[in-house]
Parts: sequence; C-alpha cells; structure tokens
Amino acid sequence: MSPTRKLIISVAAVAFVVALWFAAGHFGLISRLLLPPPDEVASTATELWSDGYVHVPLWRHIAVSIARALAAFAAAVITGIPIGLAMGMFPGVGAALDPFVQFLRPLPKLALIPLIIVWFGVGELSKFLLIYLATVLTVIVAAAAAVLNVKRGRIRAAEALGVSKYQLFRYVIFPSALPELFVGVRMAVGIGWTTLIAAEMIAANSGLGWMVINASAYLRTDVVMIGILLLGITGYLLDLLLVALQRVAVPWIGKD
Amino acid sequence: MLDDDAADAKIELRGVSMSFSARRSAPATVALENVSFEVRDREFVCLLGPSGCGKSTVLNLIAGFERPTSGKILLEGRPVRRPGPDRGVVFQEPLLFPWLSDLENVTFGPRMHGDPPDEYLPKAARLIEQVGLGGFERHRPYELSGGMKQRTALARAWIGSPRVLLMDEPFAALDAQTRLMMQEQLVHLWEQTKTTVVFITHDVEEAILLADRVLVMTSRPGRIKADIAVSLKRPRSYEQLISSNSAAELKRQIFHLVREETLKTMDRSPDGGRHPGATSSETGSVVPITQANQIAGGAAERKASGRHH
Repeated sequence: MSPTRKLIISVAAVAFVVALWFAAGHFGLISRLLLPPPDEVASTATELWSDGYVHVPLWRHIAVSIARALAAFAAAVITGIPIGLAMGMFPGVGAALDPFVQFLRPLPKLALIPLIIVWFGVGELSKFLLIYLATVLTVIVAAAAAVLNVKRGRIRAAEALGVSKYQLFRYVIFPSALPELFVGVRMAVGIGWTTLIAAEMIAANSGLGWMVINASAYLRTDVVMIGILLLGITGYLLDLLLVALQRVAVPWIGKD
Repeated sequence: MLDDDAADAKIELRGVSMSFSARRSAPATVALENVSFEVRDREFVCLLGPSGCGKSTVLNLIAGFERPTSGKILLEGRPVRRPGPDRGVVFQEPLLFPWLSDLENVTFGPRMHGDPPDEYLPKAARLIEQVGLGGFERHRPYELSGGMKQRTALARAWIGSPRVLLMDEPFAALDAQTRLMMQEQLVHLWEQTKTTVVFITHDVEEAILLADRVLVMTSRPGRIKADIAVSLKRPRSYEQLISSNSAAELKRQIFHLVREETLKTMDRSPDGGRHPGATSSETGSVVPITQANQIAGGAAERKASGRHH
C-alpha cells in the first residue's frame, strides 16, 4: 500500500471517530458533562490558550511537563546506557546488578511515591526521580540485551582481523548494539512519559499531568480532555523525534 | 608423499577431538574424533562432508575461535591459542559491518592495527578492483548484492596478507552464476598470492574445481575418511570437469564417499525415512571403491567413545 493511501485511511479513521464524538454530544446520546463534544473542547482550548488554567498559561503547563520529562530522560540515557553496556560486557557486573534491575523494572512506580516523598520531599527532585526510575530501568535492560544479542559471527569476523578487546567493544559491539539501543530508548521514553501524570500528582502546581488531575477534581471534563489530547500529542511528537534521530544515527537498522 | 615435508606444514592437526554439551547434565556430543591432517604451504585444501559432520568445527579450531577437547593444532609449528590476523576467515555470511562503507569494511583490519593509510589504501584499491567492486567503495553493505557483499568479505580477509585463508562454505548462499564467478575470482587471487587455503564445502564439484587436495569427512563424530589428491591441471573449468574422464572418475569416487556418510546420518535421524532420495542418485552405477586413496592415520579404527544416542 502506498504511503499516501495509508495517510488517507489514517486521516479518514480519525475524522470518523471525531464525527462520532460530535454526534454523541449533539444528539444527546451522552451527557455533555461526561463527554463534552469537540466544538466545546475546542472553545475551551482557545480560552485556556489566552487566559491559562488557574492563572498559569497553557504553554507553561506544556513546557513544564516537557522539561521535567526531558531532564529525566536525558539522565536515564546518560546513566542507563553505560550501566547496561557494562552488564552486557562483564558477566560479573551483570550478575551483581541484575537482581535489582529485575526487581525494580516490573514494579509499578506509583508504589514508590510514598517512599520518594518521605525521602526527597515534594519538590522537583521527587518528580524527576520517579520519571527517571521508570525510564532508566528499561534503558539498562535494553542496553544489556543489545550487547548480548550482537551476532557471534560478527564478533568472530572482527577477532580474525586482529582487534584488541577495547577495539572490539568500541568499533564492533557498540555500533552493532546501537539499533537495539535506539529501540530500547524509544520504549523507555514511552514508559517515562506515561509516568508523568503520577509524578505531577506529587504536589505540583503546574504541568499537563497536574492540570488533568486538578481539572477532574472540579469536574472540568473539557479541560481533562484537552490535557489528555496534549499529553498524547506531545508523547507522539517525542517518539517521532526519536525516530528521526534514529534514521540519522543508525540508517542500517533492519537492513542487515 | 606426506612424510618428507612435515617441515613446511603450514597447518597441522594432531589427534584433535572436540565434544560439546549444551547443558551440564546433557551427554556430550562428540563433534570431532581424533582428526589429524596437514596442510602444506600454498596448498588449496577442501574439507568435504555431509552437514553436521564437524567441518566448520575444524575451521573454527584452526581460526582459534574454539579450543579442542584434546589434541593439537599448529600453525607453522606454533600452537593456535586465539584468533589472529595471520589467519583470514571468510564465513558463509558476509558478516560485514553495516555502519561502514565498502572501502572501510575492506580496510578494517589495517585501520585497527594503525597501519599508515598510504600503505593500505593502494592495496585496498587494487583488491577492490580485483574482486570487481571498483566504483562501489562508498556504498554501504546493505546497498550491495549478496555476491558483492561476499566479495567485500573476501577482500577484507585478504588485505592483511594472511598466511592462511580459512573459508567456511563462503559461496553456499549465492546463486549458481554468482558462485561460478566467485570461484573463478578466488582461484585467480589464490594463484597470484599463493596463500594457503582451507575451504569448507559440501559441494563435490566445487571441491574438485578448487582444491589441490580434498579431505572427505565422516558423519558425526567427524573423522577424516579419505585424503584425495586432485591432480587435474589448472586452470580448471566446469566444462572440463564434465568433459574430462579423469575428472568424472574422481567426482564419482568422491561422490560415493560423501554419499555413504550422508546415508548414515539419515539412518540415524528420526525423520530419515521421509527423504530417502535426498542424495541424488542419477550418477548411476556406484563404482566399488576400495576405501579411496589414503585413509588418514588410523582414525577410522578408533572406536567411537562417548557417542551420543
């Protein structure tokens, strides 16, 4: 199927769902309080854009959330990749860290909120730590697996060409692991972004996650829906950015 | 004929055995049993045998990727301990580095050793020209065809002027036309450089076309079943193999030896009965053979210890 055709189908599918949503509100199928129709949501959006939500402009809510998430993602990538690579390269390191990683990774990070608040308070650090923890564990596991998944044949080909241990890592194992590292980071960022709401439940007064939680307390379903849309769209754009980066950094992905 | 030239044996295997066990509790599989042979300097030797006979294991041992359970592997009289650039290896898959260009792949070895570019670049250019990849230096491996990738792998292994070139069914995955061209290019390169070559194949015709000597292996556990000199004069071609009587006779003889071993593996395998005709039998009359030329030193008499069930 051609890309244009796929795009047309995708757009049509979205238009269909929006039309259903519109119809549900306007023909009184679902109460407007529970499901405000798209035109109402749109007018609330323009209102939020000009006046802000609770005296904070909408762009600020967006920017604050993105800043929190990006700081945690960056820290997770910078620390998680070396740790994961070391776990993959050195079986001893892997054996030492694996129990902790495997215990923490499947743990719902919400369960950690009470401890994090007790230990680190309710400031930015706690929000950062929660997103960081949700992200870094996936990055670590992906990096360790990426090293272990490097084809044995490729390592042997390099060894037969007379590379040193360091050269083997730097010029063969690391680039071989890059495609999987990218996939891992994309997954981790997806998971981290979903943790944002939980992070902003910790005594925040701005951010998209906070806006959703706060609006729900006042039954402002329209604001809740705008928050959800913005969270979804921003998450999607983040992933697109990573895909573009991946295309530049590992153009051979999936081709060998 | 093997006695007087042990001195210039390039590669020597002495009583090499190899067993694997997948799990600690599982019984060991004997892959190789008491394999002994020599490869002389500048010789082109083909190791031929049914799949699963341990041909690749022999190659991996010479390359230093694996260590034998017992026995010795010597390269120019010195024991092999680890892989090294004195032994170039070409695998069944090209195993190129997809993040590097064709030229960067070919020059990978010299660059890792820190050789000066004005030394290896002209050499790379010559090799790339010789294997017919001129103009593709900047292409990435995934932009090349299977045959081109394999030629790049050949140039990559050859650029360091290895004393021995080890090839593990390098053309098995290529189509017939490409394979033919590659075989010609390989022989051409070998004649120019006279590198010692150990070439693994399961293709009898390929072995006769390329080799000075063909070593036929038994099915698992792998032993050397026969050591056959191919005295057909070079340059050889497939046409000659078809028209020459001595070539046809040699082919029949080797084919019979391999077929015996293939049949053994089929009797053993649980689904053996389902493909009774897998080895083509149209070569007709099986010539009675008195166990070929030289059977390698007593290996056949050893009893199979620790054979798996």
